[in-house]
Amino acid sequence: MSRLYDTVEPAVIDEEMLKKAVEEQGPKEEAGKIAKQEGIDFGDVLSLRLDFLNILKIDNLWEFTKLTKLQLDNNIIEKIEGLESLVNLVWLDLSFNNIEVIDNLDSLTKLEDLTLYSNRISTIENMDSLLNLHVLSLGRNQLTDLENLRYLRRFKNLKTLNLSDNPFCKQDEYKQYVIAFLSNLEFLDYRLVDQQSRDAAIEKYQVSRDEMLHNEKQAEIKKEDETKRQQELEKHKNAYVELMNGPDLFEQMYAEDKEGQKLNEMPEKFMQICTQIFDFGIAEHEKREEEVKSFWECVEEAKQDNKRLGMVHIDEFTETKKRMLLEMSQMSDHKMVEQYARDYNDKIQVLWDKLMGLELQLVDQLEEVIKEFERNMQDMVGTFVENVQALLSQCRDLENNHHEKMMEIAIVTLEKVIKNELDDEISDDLKMLLVDKDTIINAVSSSHDVHLLKIDNKEDDIVTRINQSLKNLIEQIHQDEEITRNRMRVSEINNLIDHLREEMDNLEVMQN
Amino acid sequence: MDSSEMNEGEIHQIDSDDVIKEEDETENEEGEDLTEDAEALKAELAKIVVHPPSYEQSLMEEFDQAEFSPSYKDNLPKENLVLQYAENFRRQMVQLYRDRKPLFLNPVNECGVEKFVCTTIRPTLLEFKELYNWDGAAEFVADYLNIEPLKPEYELPKRLISPSTVLKRQKGNCFEYSTLLCSLLIGAGYDAYVISGYATKETCLADESRDICPLLKKKEEVQEEARKKEMKKYNVKPPRDLRSKFELKQEAKKEAEKQAEKEKQRKEEEERIAELEKPPPDPYFGLRIHAWVLVLSGKREVPENFFIEPFTGLSHPMDSSNYLGIESVWNNVNYWVNMQDCSEGVKGLSFDLGDSTVWEFMFPNNDKPLLKIPDAEDDLNDMDDDERKKYLDDEEHEVEKYLDMPPSWVDALKLSHRDFQMRCPHGKKTKVYKRAKLEKFAHYLMKDGLISRLSVYEDRELTDLMKVHEYYAHRSDKLTQKLTNHRTGQVCENFDPGRPRCLKEHQFKSSTPGPENERVMIFYHEARVDGLVKREETQTEMTEEYSNRDDFLFYKYVEFGKRAKKFGPQETSSANKGRPINKMIQKFHRNRNKPANEDIAEIIFHVAEDKIHISYHTEDVRIAASTREFLKPPNWDEKGAVLTFNPEMHQTFQVDPMLPMNKQVELYEMLMELLKAEEKCRNEVRDSQNEVRNILDDRTKEEAASELDISVYDTERNEKAKKHRRELERQQLEEKMRKQEMDIDYLAPFLAKIGNPEKLSKQQAFSLKEECLADLKQRLIDKANLIQARFEKESQELEKKQAWYQQNQVSMGKEDEEEYLTYCKEAIFRIHILDLRLTRHKEQAPHKYMQLEQKLRNDERLSEFF
Repeated sequence: MSRLYDTVEPAVIDEEMLKKAVEEQGPKEEAGKIAKQEGIDFGDVLSLRLDFLNILKIDNLWEFTKLTKLQLDNNIIEKIEGLESLVNLVWLDLSFNNIEVIDNLDSLTKLEDLTLYSNRISTIENMDSLLNLHVLSLGRNQLTDLENLRYLRRFKNLKTLNLSDNPFCKQDEYKQYVIAFLSNLEFLDYRLVDQQSRDAAIEKYQVSRDEMLHNEKQAEIKKEDETKRQQELEKHKNAYVELMNGPDLFEQMYAEDKEGQKLNEMPEKFMQICTQIFDFGIAEHEKREEEVKSFWECVEEAKQDNKRLGMVHIDEFTETKKRMLLEMSQMSDHKMVEQYARDYNDKIQVLWDKLMGLELQLVDQLEEVIKEFERNMQDMVGTFVENVQALLSQCRDLENNHHEKMMEIAIVTLEKVIKNELDDEISDDLKMLLVDKDTIINAVSSSHDVHLLKIDNKEDDIVTRINQSLKNLIEQIHQDEEITRNRMRVSEINNLIDHLREEMDNLEVMQN
Repeated sequence: MDSSEMNEGEIHQIDSDDVIKEEDETENEEGEDLTEDAEALKAELAKIVVHPPSYEQSLMEEFDQAEFSPSYKDNLPKENLVLQYAENFRRQMVQLYRDRKPLFLNPVNECGVEKFVCTTIRPTLLEFKELYNWDGAAEFVADYLNIEPLKPEYELPKRLISPSTVLKRQKGNCFEYSTLLCSLLIGAGYDAYVISGYATKETCLADESRDICPLLKKKEEVQEEARKKEMKKYNVKPPRDLRSKFELKQEAKKEAEKQAEKEKQRKEEEERIAELEKPPPDPYFGLRIHAWVLVLSGKREVPENFFIEPFTGLSHPMDSSNYLGIESVWNNVNYWVNMQDCSEGVKGLSFDLGDSTVWEFMFPNNDKPLLKIPDAEDDLNDMDDDERKKYLDDEEHEVEKYLDMPPSWVDALKLSHRDFQMRCPHGKKTKVYKRAKLEKFAHYLMKDGLISRLSVYEDRELTDLMKVHEYYAHRSDKLTQKLTNHRTGQVCENFDPGRPRCLKEHQFKSSTPGPENERVMIFYHEARVDGLVKREETQTEMTEEYSNRDDFLFYKYVEFGKRAKKFGPQETSSANKGRPINKMIQKFHRNRNKPANEDIAEIIFHVAEDKIHISYHTEDVRIAASTREFLKPPNWDEKGAVLTFNPEMHQTFQVDPMLPMNKQVELYEMLMELLKAEEKCRNEVRDSQNEVRNILDDRTKEEAASELDISVYDTERNEKAKKHRRELERQQLEEKMRKQEMDIDYLAPFLAKIGNPEKLSKQQAFSLKEECLADLKQRLIDKANLIQARFEKESQELEKKQAWYQQNQVSMGKEDEEEYLTYCKEAIFRIHILDLRLTRHKEQAPHKYMQLEQKLRNDERLSEFF
């Protein structure tokens, strides 16, 4: 070992290297022989070891998609890369390399054991998605900041941690700090963390730890609220009435209408109708969900019944087959054997008839049910659309009324302005509009048009979305339940029958 | 009355005997010269024959009068009053209803004193929790006592023995049974009454040989109503039924006819049997007197009135055909006479005791014991004091008007724990039922822990034994039940949890108890590591069922071949070797974590043919399952041999033809796994066989030993615990003694000085006292001096320090100065404390001195001199 570190020729992960490693580490003895004859697919390999190979760059591993354990220790790797496709990885060893930054590990969500011992890492980062981490080794690195360790709190399953030989280990409070802030740890730096030292550490950092816990809790609550809100919104969206339980539509109406905004305030009645639409939409949505659920339950039930019957037939046949084969094997008379073979073939035919009959029956049943379901769903959607339209037309009426009143007020105000009877209270913007009759009328009617347009848009949106989704649902049902399922079952039955016939033929050949 | 008459008669008899003797003597003397007259007289006299009345010992068993308390031997004035009242009542009844049978009102007790029946009931709640409920109490009374039938059976007994005596002698007639049971029930809070009336012969004699044993009565199976299939909106229509409706109808009709025919036959047969089994007609039917217990609804959450038969301890409904009529009813407060017609038996009788048209009451004060209504009491509390007083006065006033029931004259009922556990007289009782015999034994009475044995016979004469059901308790091998079927020779043993191999039930043939025979073993599978539920064996097969296993195995079947017979010298090891295995089947539940196509449902190891057959589970959307078949390599059982593989050794059927074929390596590895699994399965089978053998060995050993367990809480029986307790008590006592000795003897050192004399002279006593006091004085002074010395030392030191400070004040740094100041503070504190201590000591010292003097004065060794 007289060669210098710098003079080592870096190696590249190429096919030859991989093949060699796979063969060396693959099955042994007889199995190995068979495997060699057949060749090994990289995609089937579960564990791979590439250590002491002076690898500089991780590359060409995209084919090993099933890999759960990968060892790349004792190389000269400088950057973590090329591991994106190894999503099944559970065990990753990158110790004794020259890595400076933790990076590119986001896709390895199943990772439980990560070793980065003896590298040049100075900060713990970019591991947000590794939530299953159990064991983490970051010993002999360049970690200097104890605060940075709080990053590890997000790994709820982390039980074993190695941080020895880092610069911050020289600080007196290092150990207690780690134990206090990562109180789920069971092993730290090769040692069991006992309850006593844990209590002591927690006591020492009581205040800051409590504060941190409090903040975390707050954040968690916030997050939960957010997800809850999202779910609610999602549900409303599925009911096609999202944001109708607030002043949203109204605000939208005035969003693009700056003049109107100045003249208006939120009317109570409008709000009421919106809420009505919202409630109605939610109720209808629940009804539809119920309908769909009951449909699927029945379909599942029918399929299960059918499956059971089919299996009974097959089991019966298997029993007969066993008996007949046993009898045949004991027979010596050639004619009798042939007779039996014919019988057997007949029985296969009968089985096919039965299974196909069952399948046809199921197809008929499902077709009928699906039709009924389709009809009911269309009715429901129809009523929903009609009701929503009726409610929205009420909105339109309100808007019309409002428009008329607005016009009156505008004209009256204009007259006042002309007569200079108005107080100075009105804003300058408004003064700009109140110059002559045309301007004010134009402003008011254009605002009215915008409002009507918004309401129309909302209506269109609801109606098209609900119709579209209904269409999709029905189409999908047709595709899945009628066509795909039927084809699969028929091919299955035929496959089975073919197999049975073949078996018979083979037997005859053998006997002959 | 009877007894006195009889006694007189006896005396008379003796007198006449003497006379005859005398006459005989004279006859002998004058024997030679008998005149004709005399002969005639003799002949005349010979015609007169007297039959001395036979004295019935059993009816009037004598009691040792000394045993009883005075209340048994005498009547209180109030009791006499009640008796008079009762006599008056009886006369009135006789006057009004001449045809009525006499009432059971005031029989004599065991001391020959007339007592009113109501006062014989002594409500008692014993400490045994079994007696708190009516069924437990009734069963206890039925078990605990032996029956003395009434003699004659159509007359009321003359004597009613108190329940306390009945408990002691453990036998009694139906009235005594009922009185005891009623005492227990009322004590437990039931609304219970003794009934005097008429019953069938079987009931009066407690002849249950016509009844089916209650243990044999099958519980009515709760027919689980088939859950109606919920009609859902989208249920698929069933395929059309293409059979002829008419034919179906005809068939159904035929079937129904057949059923009706069968039913009819069965009914006829039943009737025939019932006719055969009817008891012979009873000449005293309707006249046999009986007493039993009535429990009325209302208290203790009893929903309906019912009777309790005291001889059997069973409840009977209100329309029971066993009871033929009711004369009177009483409890500890009142006596009611039935005024209803009993020609139809007890069916339809009203038990509304408050209704005076159907029940004539004796004491008018409270016609029916009513439940106390809490509201009334609350009202009482709410009332003002005056009002309450007035109310109470009224009440008292009212009560005074009537005669109320005096308290019971019977002593408190007592029952020792031991007697309660012995249950039956001498711990044994035998009952005969229809085609069955039940023997009961007290716990720990029988060596093998037997507590009851039920023998079932084919015929009513109890000669043809069918099966025997034995119940055990406290056995160390946890055996609880044993059912022996004498017809089939089948034996079924049940065990409690806690055996080493978790055996729960064991069925085998008594003729072939050895291993490798027909048997069924059921286990407590929750307690077993391998989750074994059941193992069934025949001579050539073994089936095992499992539950809740991690590897989803639930069924294992093994088929054995015949042992190869060896000629020539027998090897000793071959006897232990198991039978060869022909075939093994393992079945597995679906493991949802694996795809169905790789999840094995069934493996069949054809050991004899060197084949392994696998079936996989069916996928959810499919109806067929994949299968696979391996031929084992020829050298599979050679150790260390390299196993070769070629594609011909494997056959498969894949349900989904689109799936890629398995690689050869995978197949090879799969085969290796299967070989291992086969080996494992074979070992498990051998283990099972060994386990069966071990269990059987254990059973034989246990049967031979049949030890009983004694609970550590059973202080009576558990010798070890008893010893331990005694030991503890002894230790405690010793500890106490030692403590007493340890009390300080303040005179001891001074007594030792003068050589511990037995007796003190006056002078010695004085000097002893002086010495003792002087010693204390000295010690007190010493202590004061010590405190003073310390005080002075501290103050000196402080002064020194102060002086030093004065000198060096200028050159000192801040830290030194602070140090000095803290020192000063502490020193002053110490001095202060010492000062306080001294003053307190000064105050207390004289008191201490006085105390000692007082003590010495009272000391027993010195007291005589002072």
